[in-house]
Amino acid sequence: MSSIALFRNRRLGSYFRFAKIEPYLFILPFFALIIAFNVYVYISGAKLAFTDAQGINPGEYIGLANFKELISDTQEFWPAIARTFYYTFGCLLTQIPAALVLAVILNSTIFGRFRGVLRASFYVPVLMNTVVAALLFRMMFLRDTGMVNWLLGVFGLPSNTNWLYESRLCIPLMIVVSFWQWTGYHMVYLLASLQSIDPVIYEVAKLDGASPLRTLLQITVPLLRPALTFVAVMSAIGGLMQFEYSFMLFPNAGFGPGKRALTGIPYIYYHAFRSDFRLGYATAAGWILFLIILIFSLIQIRFMGLGKADEIEF
Amino acid sequence: MLSRIDPEVAKARMKPPKITALKQRKAWKKGISIGVMSFIALFYLFPLLWLFDTSFRPKVEIFNTPPRILQAPPWVTFKSYSLASFKLAVNRYQMNQGFLNSVLISVCGILLTLLVCSLAAYAFALLRFRGRNFLFYCILATMMLPATTMLPPLFKVIQSYGLYNKHLGLILLYAASAFGVFLLRQYYVRLPVSLIEAAIVDGASKFRIWWWIVLPLGKPALSALAIYQFRHIWNDFLVPMVLLRSRELHTLPIKLQVMDSVNVAKDYDAIIATGFVAIAIPILFFLIFQRQFMEGLSGSLKE
Repeated sequence: MSSIALFRNRRLGSYFRFAKIEPYLFILPFFALIIAFNVYVYISGAKLAFTDAQGINPGEYIGLANFKELISDTQEFWPAIARTFYYTFGCLLTQIPAALVLAVILNSTIFGRFRGVLRASFYVPVLMNTVVAALLFRMMFLRDTGMVNWLLGVFGLPSNTNWLYESRLCIPLMIVVSFWQWTGYHMVYLLASLQSIDPVIYEVAKLDGASPLRTLLQITVPLLRPALTFVAVMSAIGGLMQFEYSFMLFPNAGFGPGKRALTGIPYIYYHAFRSDFRLGYATAAGWILFLIILIFSLIQIRFMGLGKADEIEF
Repeated sequence: MLSRIDPEVAKARMKPPKITALKQRKAWKKGISIGVMSFIALFYLFPLLWLFDTSFRPKVEIFNTPPRILQAPPWVTFKSYSLASFKLAVNRYQMNQGFLNSVLISVCGILLTLLVCSLAAYAFALLRFRGRNFLFYCILATMMLPATTMLPPLFKVIQSYGLYNKHLGLILLYAASAFGVFLLRQYYVRLPVSLIEAAIVDGASKFRIWWWIVLPLGKPALSALAIYQFRHIWNDFLVPMVLLRSRELHTLPIKLQVMDSVNVAKDYDAIIATGFVAIAIPILFFLIFQRQFMEGLSGSLKE
């Protein structure tokens, strides 16, 4: 910060006055944008949620009616929230352990220079457009022409399941696609953390005769706990905000048979822009979902601190 | 004499068999693990390889089971390769337009993000002004306000600005990236102060310091942010779908959705070709800039 002290040494009065407001000019463009496109959206969302706005009709203030309707809606809304959690925790419980095992395997020195190639190949699906991933998996899950049924047939397993039209299978299918796409992402992050662990610890464990499983559970996992928590929370937030799999994985943009793939964000989209254009009602649903996501964001800050956030992404 | 030779003799007698056996076992182990993992990786990537392969095939071969590429040796099946799917996607669905729209929005969005965020990050990192920390915490707080939960008000607000159904609306929306300011600021506070001090002594204005010193020195952070924004903007689907109505403004993912919304006689070949284009660009960038992709992650941005 010593640089700033030097700025102050200028004796010119007019410059000095300008220098006082100058920093604000640097942050002005960004603040104009973030207020116009983020903060103001939330403010107008706070108003919209209490109206009966529908389509182009701006609507009138109706108090808490939207929220009351949502909370008492056990037919559509609560099942959608339940599915959101089903999907989110389904993703967490499959992806994180798999990513951990994969990272531990790739961390072994046996692969040498080949490690980079393997890491890259598990990472490539992360780069994919989620829409393309959903469409690709839809083609694979088609009953008569899909690759999945063909592969099951090759191994002599029952091979005429109509995957995409089975309402029980909606969320599990989405979990499968998500697993394929995002495990590599978690793996790369965990691998980077693994490589910062002192290898001497493993040497010692080996000398003490610890089995690989025990090494994993009693050394690796505790040492990786910050990274694991971080990956888990990021994955949970991503799962709660999922949209593309619900919308594109199943034919005819119908959110699956009987709308059984309708999770949180799709629910908002469906009511605001597809079925009955009830913008006020959908906004109220958005607030409830936002509060749920906020809890996870706060957990993230509580455990990780914001300082960690610059190590994420990509 | 004997004592001088002795250790070498002992080595020659005792160790070689052991070492070779161990080495052999290790080589076996290495070969097997690399083989197994390669197989798993190949299986994992097979859907993608299938997509790449199928995008060059005629429509009748798309849904062959087993997949056409596994039916016969490559030099036999490659004979049916053509660009027909791409031509169909271009002629019937204006995929080229979607591609250009995606490129336009990505390039403008990234440039504007870098400009706006780096200006703000520079002020937060290196200048001193009243309310600096408070404002910075406000920015951090906005990182917890995702756009998609407030989709209806976003739609209404953009409409009230007159930016509905315009690329500019999306570009401005993407540029308002709190994460970008945060990322750049964390990098800028670690820049060497001596260079900046030297510039001040030479009488450089704050703006010139930003342009001539902070921007060039902060290149690693800028490229990390550019990659992050590229992935975000290129793949974004829900917000552009809600904010762009006209066909000629649609980006690639929305083109895909439009192609898919044909219920009878869906052109799966056009979908596959468009999907190929949509994912080939990021994968190409990844293969070229792999180091930069992984850099932000391993924390080496912090030096």
